[in-house]
Amino acid sequence: MTSGAGDREVSIVVVAPETEIRTQEDTGGSWNTVVSNGKGATKSPPDCTGFQKGTAFWKNLQLVVLGTKLAVLFPAIPLAIVADFYSFGKPWIFGFSLLGLAPLAERVSFLTEQIACFTGPTVGGLLNATCGNATELIIAMFALRQRKIHVLKYSLFGSILSNLLLVLGSSLLCGGLANIKKEQRYDRKQADVNSLLLLLGLLCNLLPLLLKHVMGKGPATAYSTLQLSRVSSIFMLLAYAGYIIFQLKTHRHFFESQQEDGESEEGEEEGAVIGFWSAFIWLVGMTVFIALLSEYVVGTIECASDTWGISVGFISIILLPIVGNAAEHAGSIIFAFKNKLDISLGVSLGSATQISMFVVPFCVLVAWIMHVNMDLDFSLLETGCLAFTIVITAFTLQDGTSHYLKGAVLVLCYVIIAACFFVYKVPQDELDSYPGIKPFTGVFAS
Amino acid sequence: MAAPPIQQETVPWLLENGSYKVLTKEARQGHGHSHHGRTAHNMSSSSLRKKSDLTLVSKVQCGLLRSFLTNLQEVILGTKLSILFPAIPLAIAANYCNFGRPWIFALSLLALMPLAERVSFLTEQIAYFTGPTVGGLLNATCGNATELIIAIFALCQNKIDVVKFSLLGSILSNLLLVLGTSLFCGGLGTLGKQQKYDRRQADVNMLLLFLGLLCQLLPLLFRVAGGYTTVTTVAALQLSRASSIVMLVAYVVYIVFQLWTHRQLFEADEEAGEGQEEETPVIGFWSGFVWLVGMTIVIALLSEYVVATIEDASNSWGLSVSFISIILLPIVGNAAEHAGAIIFAFKDKLDISLGVALGSSCQISMFVIPVCVIVAWIAGIDMDLNFNTVETGCLAVAIITTAFTLQDGTSNYLKGLILLLCYVVIGACFFVTTTPLNQGNPMKGSVVNLGTSGSLAA
Repeated sequence: MTSGAGDREVSIVVVAPETEIRTQEDTGGSWNTVVSNGKGATKSPPDCTGFQKGTAFWKNLQLVVLGTKLAVLFPAIPLAIVADFYSFGKPWIFGFSLLGLAPLAERVSFLTEQIACFTGPTVGGLLNATCGNATELIIAMFALRQRKIHVLKYSLFGSILSNLLLVLGSSLLCGGLANIKKEQRYDRKQADVNSLLLLLGLLCNLLPLLLKHVMGKGPATAYSTLQLSRVSSIFMLLAYAGYIIFQLKTHRHFFESQQEDGESEEGEEEGAVIGFWSAFIWLVGMTVFIALLSEYVVGTIECASDTWGISVGFISIILLPIVGNAAEHAGSIIFAFKNKLDISLGVSLGSATQISMFVVPFCVLVAWIMHVNMDLDFSLLETGCLAFTIVITAFTLQDGTSHYLKGAVLVLCYVIIAACFFVYKVPQDELDSYPGIKPFTGVFAS
Repeated sequence: MAAPPIQQETVPWLLENGSYKVLTKEARQGHGHSHHGRTAHNMSSSSLRKKSDLTLVSKVQCGLLRSFLTNLQEVILGTKLSILFPAIPLAIAANYCNFGRPWIFALSLLALMPLAERVSFLTEQIAYFTGPTVGGLLNATCGNATELIIAIFALCQNKIDVVKFSLLGSILSNLLLVLGTSLFCGGLGTLGKQQKYDRRQADVNMLLLFLGLLCQLLPLLFRVAGGYTTVTTVAALQLSRASSIVMLVAYVVYIVFQLWTHRQLFEADEEAGEGQEEETPVIGFWSGFVWLVGMTIVIALLSEYVVATIEDASNSWGLSVSFISIILLPIVGNAAEHAGAIIFAFKDKLDISLGVALGSSCQISMFVIPVCVIVAWIAGIDMDLNFNTVETGCLAVAIITTAFTLQDGTSNYLKGLILLLCYVVIGACFFVTTTPLNQGNPMKGSVVNLGTSGSLAA
């Protein structure tokens, strides 16, 4: 997607990375590339006889299902469903569901992008802003429904962490190594905006924690913290709305990636490759599958943790986000290799901001509606790690240049935090507030 | 950074790869000639050196004796700090004649200052022979030889908290005291102009310091969040050891970055000016090597005295062990670099001052501390990276303040003053801390009891 329509660029910036792992589909034959002029008019293939409809359907299927290098993981989906019906053993269900989620997440973003071709840039941008982290959102909803608040908090925290340190760090590292002779620059204004919102999110997480620390344990504290969290969530959503307006409307130019002169995107089609309704149906279908697999994941996480000897915290904080972000991660690294750091930054920072300022408060509000007591207090260790992560990322990105050492340091920070959660055992009083989880029986069962 | 064309005693220097390279006329036209591996470290302490007056020695007839005496003069008398050399025999005498342990402590401290400076001089001389990369590496490892040796002796005597305090104090002293006084004096010395420096070098160092801070923060939060039980102690220890390995990996990458792939970030612009310093070494390779070994042995001896007598000194002087370890020891260990950094700031060569201060703290944080943890691991001693609450808090504030101060690439005296005052406040904090005298059995789950400082009252 080239910059034909200037207003299309926003969705490109955010969605583009996954295109890198798409295979180039042969769309010759009776099915021509559909050209969109941004207003939704498409050329449909002429003369749809029955045979051609069949071919068209087959092409459609091929595009959607096989259009990514991650398609090799698709067989995990039926395997997961089979494992569930035949009770193979919960760790297997967990493993297969995780594997199956990776290509589904990528396809959802592809489909969202396709739909955005038809709906115009603003709605497209909004769509991407909401669906960009569909997997995390759906996992969070299921965790909420099964009252596993700790899994919910851990997985969202891990998602922010993985975006800020792992995705960003590995992009900067690989980009720096590949472009070692050149100076890598990016526009720091975008990074600044995201850092600012992340700091606001951090404040909203920090205050309930400090409140609990100061007021001591007790029902009054829990009530105050809950109230504070709910109000903060409303304001976080307001801030997010402001950010969306800023990004899509008033200051769009901050977020446009720097196009170099004379260089066009390599052979990418300008229009959608599948029709609007077809994309919509696929999207609904894929979302249903994601929902199913997420339910398996959330349901079997404790058993997997017991069998594999790793804590629930480690699985939720480290493993789940790596899987959920796999496609964006790969794309981000590829764009960094090509010295297009603005896109990599847009992906990782935008995703982190979205989770921190949209998914987290949204979960709190949904929990409120469901009468579940979820507050914004991620406990001390997690909040400390989050604070440190945001500070070090803000510091790293503040000068507008990059080199591989920056990426290496961020990746090493992630490794250390992962090691910390690997050995961390949730203290007893936290366990008491989350009935139904057991401390892990891993290496340090003494 | 465009250095102002000052014509007085400017030396055409090139801060290359973190190594200092004096340029002769040929070398100025094209780089790549004689690289000396003189680092900012050595460069700054070189300002304390004297040109050897060889007239007396040249009167000696016997050639061998003359060269030996020249050698001796260069090494022993080649620094303004050499007046402190008599403290060495005095310290040894005090030990054998039992003068009183506080005396041994004080004399050893005084004696360490010139020795530290001489070690850096000798490292620089050896670097002339080994080429720039090895020279840079040598300096990267031996640059903080005194701190490393003191730390290892303290480990051997199982005084883990002295190790932690002295290393922490070293980082604090470099970040706040040395940097602060350099910026302050530099700012006062150049009141009419604005002082600039290249922030990219500062950024790299601060980034690594942040990583070091994370490695210290996590075991602390871990212990606070998980409770002070045996399980968390063991887990924190495992985490610290894993983090140490990661820190060493990061340090290696930093060295590769500094000496190989991104040398240009650490180079300063050449200045037009006359060359005055000698380009050739003043002593031979083997002689330098022998002197280095000798001096290291003496440093080891004095460090052993220091570590052994620290409690007695603390008792008789009425200062806490933490204050002595965090404030006094690093000031002594860094004295030479400190003076040099200030002198270079006066000459408006802030890049060198920054290179000294930040490079030194980075080295301690990412090399000396993990090495200590790993040495402790091998020796079966349980040292983790949990520097307690107050110390870690001070370190975090120091790093963030310094990062913020250095982020815009200019300097003025107020920045230096603020950093200096931060150090004074932290010093006051540790001054009023009273430490109970038990050094703590490391396996009991808390390495240091800071008593009234309330660091464990989380």
